Amino acid sequence: MNKEASIILKNRAIAMAKNPDQETGFSKSTGVIAFTLAAETYCVESAFVKEVYPLKEYTSLPGVPDYILGLINVRGQILPVVNPKKFFNLPERGLGELNKVIILFHNKMEFGILADFVEGSLFLSPEEIMDVPAGVTSIGEKYLKGVTMDNLIVLDAEALLNDEGIIVDDK
Amino acid sequence: MQTKEEEFLKRIQATFRYEAEEHLRAFSSGLIELEKPGIRENPAEIIEIMFREIHSLKGAARSVDNRDVETLCQPLENVFSAMKRKEINFSSSFLGHFYKASDLLAKIITSEEINQSPSERKSTRELIQQLKELATGKSIEITSPELVRLVPNPEVTPPEATIPVAVEIPVSHTESPATKESIRIRVSKLDPLLLQAEEMVQAKMAIIQRADELAQINSEITEWIHDSFKWKGNRFKASPEMWNEWMEDNGLRLNKLERKIDAIAALTRRDQFNLMRMVDNHLDAMKQIIMLPVSSLVEIFPVMVRKITREQKKEIDFVITGTELEIDKRILEELKDPLIHLLRNCIDHGIGKPEERIKQNKPPQGKITLEFAARENGQVEIILSDDGRGIDTVMLMKAASKAGISLDDSNEKPNRREVLNLIFKSGVSTSSIITDISGNGLGMSIVHEKVIKLNGRISVDSEDGKGTSFHILLPMTLATFRGVAVRVKEFSFILPTMNVERVIMLKEEDIRTIENHYTIRIDNQTISLVDMGEVLGLPAAINSYVESSDKGNETHNSICVAVLTNKERLMGFRVDEILEEQQVFVKGLGKLLKRVRNISGATILGSGKVVPVLNVSDLIKSALRVKSGGKVHSPEKHTAEKAGRILVVEDSITSRTMLKNVLEAAGYIVVTAFDGLDGFAKARESEFDLIMSDVDMPRANGFEFITKIRADKKLKEVPAILLTALGSHEDRERGIEAGADAYIVKSSFDQGNLLDIIRKLI
Repeated sequence: MNKEASIILKNRAIAMAKNPDQETGFSKSTGVIAFTLAAETYCVESAFVKEVYPLKEYTSLPGVPDYILGLINVRGQILPVVNPKKFFNLPERGLGELNKVIILFHNKMEFGILADFVEGSLFLSPEEIMDVPAGVTSIGEKYLKGVTMDNLIVLDAEALLNDEGIIVDDK
Repeated sequence: MQTKEEEFLKRIQATFRYEAEEHLRAFSSGLIELEKPGIRENPAEIIEIMFREIHSLKGAARSVDNRDVETLCQPLENVFSAMKRKEINFSSSFLGHFYKASDLLAKIITSEEINQSPSERKSTRELIQQLKELATGKSIEITSPELVRLVPNPEVTPPEATIPVAVEIPVSHTESPATKESIRIRVSKLDPLLLQAEEMVQAKMAIIQRADELAQINSEITEWIHDSFKWKGNRFKASPEMWNEWMEDNGLRLNKLERKIDAIAALTRRDQFNLMRMVDNHLDAMKQIIMLPVSSLVEIFPVMVRKITREQKKEIDFVITGTELEIDKRILEELKDPLIHLLRNCIDHGIGKPEERIKQNKPPQGKITLEFAARENGQVEIILSDDGRGIDTVMLMKAASKAGISLDDSNEKPNRREVLNLIFKSGVSTSSIITDISGNGLGMSIVHEKVIKLNGRISVDSEDGKGTSFHILLPMTLATFRGVAVRVKEFSFILPTMNVERVIMLKEEDIRTIENHYTIRIDNQTISLVDMGEVLGLPAAINSYVESSDKGNETHNSICVAVLTNKERLMGFRVDEILEEQQVFVKGLGKLLKRVRNISGATILGSGKVVPVLNVSDLIKSALRVKSGGKVHSPEKHTAEKAGRILVVEDSITSRTMLKNVLEAAGYIVVTAFDGLDGFAKARESEFDLIMSDVDMPRANGFEFITKIRADKKLKEVPAILLTALGSHEDRERGIEAGADAYIVKSSFDQGNLLDIIRKLI
C-alpha cells in the first residue's frame, strides 16, 4: 500500500470516528423499514424489526380470525403471520403481491406482518413526522405515529405489538 | 416370574449405583470445598449443598432398600442438618469423619457383595455412633480439634492426614454439583453407534468412486465431441467407407456409454439405499440414546411405595398413567429426585393409617395417582395426587413463621394458594414428627428448585381432609411425541398418537344413523362419527365434498376414520386421508396465538412445511357443540304435527345429503331433487310446506326454478328459500325478484340460523 493511500485511509478513519451528532444530527433520527400495502406506503421502526423474510409458503389455521394469515417456518422457528390489510380493515385496493413478511418483535411478542413490497430502510427525524390528516388511511390513530411530507405513514409498531386485541385467546 | 423380578432388581441396583456415585462425587467435592481456608468461615452454602446430596443419596438408597447406605446416611445427614440449623458449628475436626463416611459409602455402593465383613461392620457401627455424637453436639469436647484425637478410636483417620489426599483431587470438582450436563450411555447402546459411524466410511468411499466414474464418462464424452468436431471439418472429403466407419464408431461409443451409465445408475441406487438405511438407523440409535419412556423413570416407584406403605402399616393403591410418553433422558433424570420426594410426602404425610381413614369415612386403602400427559405448547404435565389428609394451612403458616418466613405483610388475609406455596420454602415442615423419610422441610424446596431449573412450574392444590395434588408443568422442548398425519381437504394436521385409539377404513354402508347422528361400530361399541373438516370449520366445506364423492362410485369409496379419545369418550373423525405416523417435535404457536381452539401447537415436517397439531380434547368438545348446534330440536319439538315437508333442490349430492340430514334431524320430512326441472316435477307431485333450492344448477337454475314455482297456481304460496354460494347483491335482488322468501348465503351458512328461518316461514 502506498503512502498516499494510507493517509487517505487514516483521514477517513478519523472522520468516521467523529461523533455523528456534531455534523448531521443523525443520531436523533430513527431507522425505519418502508413497505407498501395496496396503494399506500407505510413504515415501522427498525428497532422492532427482526428481519424481512420472503413469503414462500404458509400454513393456514382453521378457526382463527381472518387477520391471521397462518404460520410460516423461519429457519425452524414457527411464526404466526398477520395480514395487516385485514387487521386494519384496509380496502383491498387492487391486487397486492403480499410476498414479504416483516418480522416484528418486542418483549416476547413476535409475529410477521405481510407486505406487498418492501421499499427498503431509511432514516426519519422526529420533526419530519407530522400528525395524520383525516382520510389518508383508515388505520386507527392508536396504531399510527404520523405521516411524513412524502406521505409515508409511520406505524406504531410498539402499539401493535403490545395490543392485547391482536392476541388470539380462545377460551 | 421370579427371574423377571430378579432382572428388574438387578437393573434398579445398577441405576442406583450410578446415581449414588453421582451424589457421592458431589459430596466429596463439597468436602474439598470445606477444607479451603477461605470457606471455612462461612460454610453455610456448601453445607446446604452437601446436606441435600446426602439427603438424596439416602432417599435413593431407601428406594432400592439398601439399608447399609441408608443407615450410614441418616446420622451423617443429621450432622449436616444440625450445622445448617446452627445448632452446632462446623469444625475442621468433622472432616475426618466425613471422609471416612464418604469412603465407606463408596465402598458399599461399588461392591457387588451385599454383606460386609465383620470388621467393616464394626467400623461402620463406630462411625455411625461418632456421627450421632457429632450431631447432638452434646459432647462439647468433640467440636474442639485437639480432643477429637482423644476419642478412643484408632480407625478414625485424623483430619490432618486427609488433607494431602484431598489436595491431589483436581480443582475442577469445584463446579457446582448441581450442574450435571453429561449423560450416561450404556456401552451396549453406544456400540451400535460406533459401528454405524464406521459404516459411513463405506458411503464416503462409494461416493468418491461414483464421482470418479462420472468424471471418466465425462472425459469420454469430451473426447467424442472433440472427434466429432474433427469429423465435421472433414466430412466433405469423406468417402462412403469413412462415413460407415464413423457411424459404426459412433454406435459403439454410444453403446459403451449407455452400459457405463446404466451401471453407475444401478450402483448409485444401491448407494442410495445403503445411505438411507444408514442415516435412518443412525437417527434411530441417536433417539434411542436421548429418548426414554417415562416407564424407565417410574418403574422403581411401585416397589418403593409398597415398601414404605408396608412399614407404615398403611394401605395404598398406587396408579401410574402415561408411562409410554417419551421424554428426554436428561429431563427424566432430573425428575427422579423430585418425584421420589413428592411420593414420600404423599405416603408419609398425606395418606393416613387405615383406622384413621375409616374414621373419616374414607376407604381404608388410600389412593395415589401419578399421571404423565403431553399438554399444549409442547409441555408435559405431571400430576401427583392423593386422597389423604390434605395440607393443614394453619400448621403450614405456623411452620413458616417458625422458619422465619412470612407472607407479604401487605396482605391482611393471604389467599389459600399463597399459603400453600409456602410449602416450597426451605425449612418449612408441617410434620410434627421428623421421620427418617421426610419431615425435615427440605424435600419440597429441592423439588421446587429442580422444577424451576427445568424451566417448569409446580403448583399445589389441597383440600382439608380430601387430598393433595401437585401439578408440575415442564416444557417439553426436549420431549417428543408421536403423531399421526392426516389430510382433510387440502390441509394437513397431526393428531397426537396418544389420542388416536385407531384408524380405520370404512365403507359408506358401515355408517349408520342413530337419532339423526352418524354412528359407526367399533368392536361392540357404537360411537358417533363426525366430519373433521366440519368440526374444524374448514372453508369451502361443501364444495370439496362434491369432488370427493363425485369421484367414481360412492359405494367403492373407502372412508378414512380416525377414532380419537380424550380418555373419557371415543369419537370417530372422518378425514380424507391418513398419511403416516411419525415422531414430531411439537412447538408452541407463540404469544400472539395464545390459545387457538382445536390446535395445541405446530410442527415442522421434513419438507419444511408447518403442520398444526390438533388438540383432541378440544376437538371432541367442538364436535359435541357442532352436533348440538344442528340438533336444535328438543324432543317435544319434533312431534308429528309439527313435522313439515320440505323439498330440497340441490345438484351437489353432498350438500343435498347434508341438508337432508340437518333438516331431518330437526324433525322435518325431506324430499330431495337434483336440479330445477326435477325439483319442479317433484314439487307438483305432492304437498310441501317449504321449498329450498340451490342457485347454480344444471338444466334449470334456482332463479328459473323459483320463477316457475311462483307462476304455478298450486305452488305459488309455498315459501321458498334460495341457498347459494353466491353472495352478491345482484344475486340477492334477483332472488327476491324471482319470488324467494329468503336468501341464505352458504358461506355464512350455519345450521341454527337456517332452522330459525325455516321455522319462521313454515
